[in-house]
Amino acid sequence: MHSGAGLLGRSRIKVHPVGPERFVQVTCLQCVEAACAQVCPTQALVRNPDTGALEVNASRCIGCGLCEAACPFGHMHFDTELRLAVKCDLCGGRPACATFCPHNALEWR
Amino acid sequence: MDVKLRINEVEVEAQKGEYLLDVARRAGFEIPSLCHHEAVKPIGSCRVCLVEVKAGKKTSLTTSCNYTIEGGEEVTTDSGLIRRMRAINLELLLARAPGSKRVRELAQEYGVSRPRFPPVEDSWLPNCILCELCVRVCEELGHNALSTQGRGDEKKIGLPFNKPAESCVGCGSCYSVCPTGCILMKDTAVDRTIWGQKFDFVRCKQCGAPVITEKHRAFAIENKGLPENYYDLCESCKQADASKRFAAVAWQD
Repeated sequence: MHSGAGLLGRSRIKVHPVGPERFVQVTCLQCVEAACAQVCPTQALVRNPDTGALEVNASRCIGCGLCEAACPFGHMHFDTELRLAVKCDLCGGRPACATFCPHNALEWR
Repeated sequence: MDVKLRINEVEVEAQKGEYLLDVARRAGFEIPSLCHHEAVKPIGSCRVCLVEVKAGKKTSLTTSCNYTIEGGEEVTTDSGLIRRMRAINLELLLARAPGSKRVRELAQEYGVSRPRFPPVEDSWLPNCILCELCVRVCEELGHNALSTQGRGDEKKIGLPFNKPAESCVGCGSCYSVCPTGCILMKDTAVDRTIWGQKFDFVRCKQCGAPVITEKHRAFAIENKGLPENYYDLCESCKQADASKRFAAVAWQD
């Protein structure tokens, strides 16, 4: 949704199988005490007061990749082409994943 | 916002001491730049962000990135004169960095496609425009590995004495921010080579994928206050682990 490319690899939500017919969707937990924000040397990770999401301020990101290494859940991504940190931003308040899911398995409150 | 100024005849509010480029962009005006980055202090080295500032009776052509606002200025960000001046600077920059896509595109926007000056040969670092963004970023990060050396036409950028240095951790931030893409960084599955130095990657404990360099990890453990094991796994394995933990809670059978 963010790059308009429809590339599975660029998705900010992933699905992991955990057993026969059991799947867990994993995406950024928007941690209150976020490891990514703690390691960021330029304070490029900021909380959006409207959505509650932690967002990457791309113009402050210097592309060091520490956030990706630090996130304990594997939800900070580093775009190696753009050399920028990338993460779930709740699509500005209306997550595309939850909107799309045909089985209502995802809920955004 | 404690002061007012006029940009392109529009009244804009700002804090005294703010940089003009930041204020202009915030107000929606476009000003090109190459050596500017929000995370570090501006130094006005590329000369692309030139604007006209009338403060009192004096009008000057100045770099907006490091012009500190006093209040009451009348600023023009686009005019025939400004375009000509930016074009000349871009022509010079293009001669120095003919291999840079970004410089080429910006120069093209200002009507420059073939500089009158011959391209620079036998350069220490081809396509480097000495914008010093790499130096400023390296300093901001706390590594202080990169610096400028020499002056005038012998000025160049590199590690101390151009030898592998303890201070460089191989984070690749310099490579990320370089506006001309002149810094060379090569990543393999096991190591990274940058500024003539080889760095081993931390390998994911589960799948062996590269995470960050060992030295960068050591720096992060020392300075960032997170547990060491946060850096042990690659993002995919961390996700898989996390999903197993969530599953154990979600399905209790």
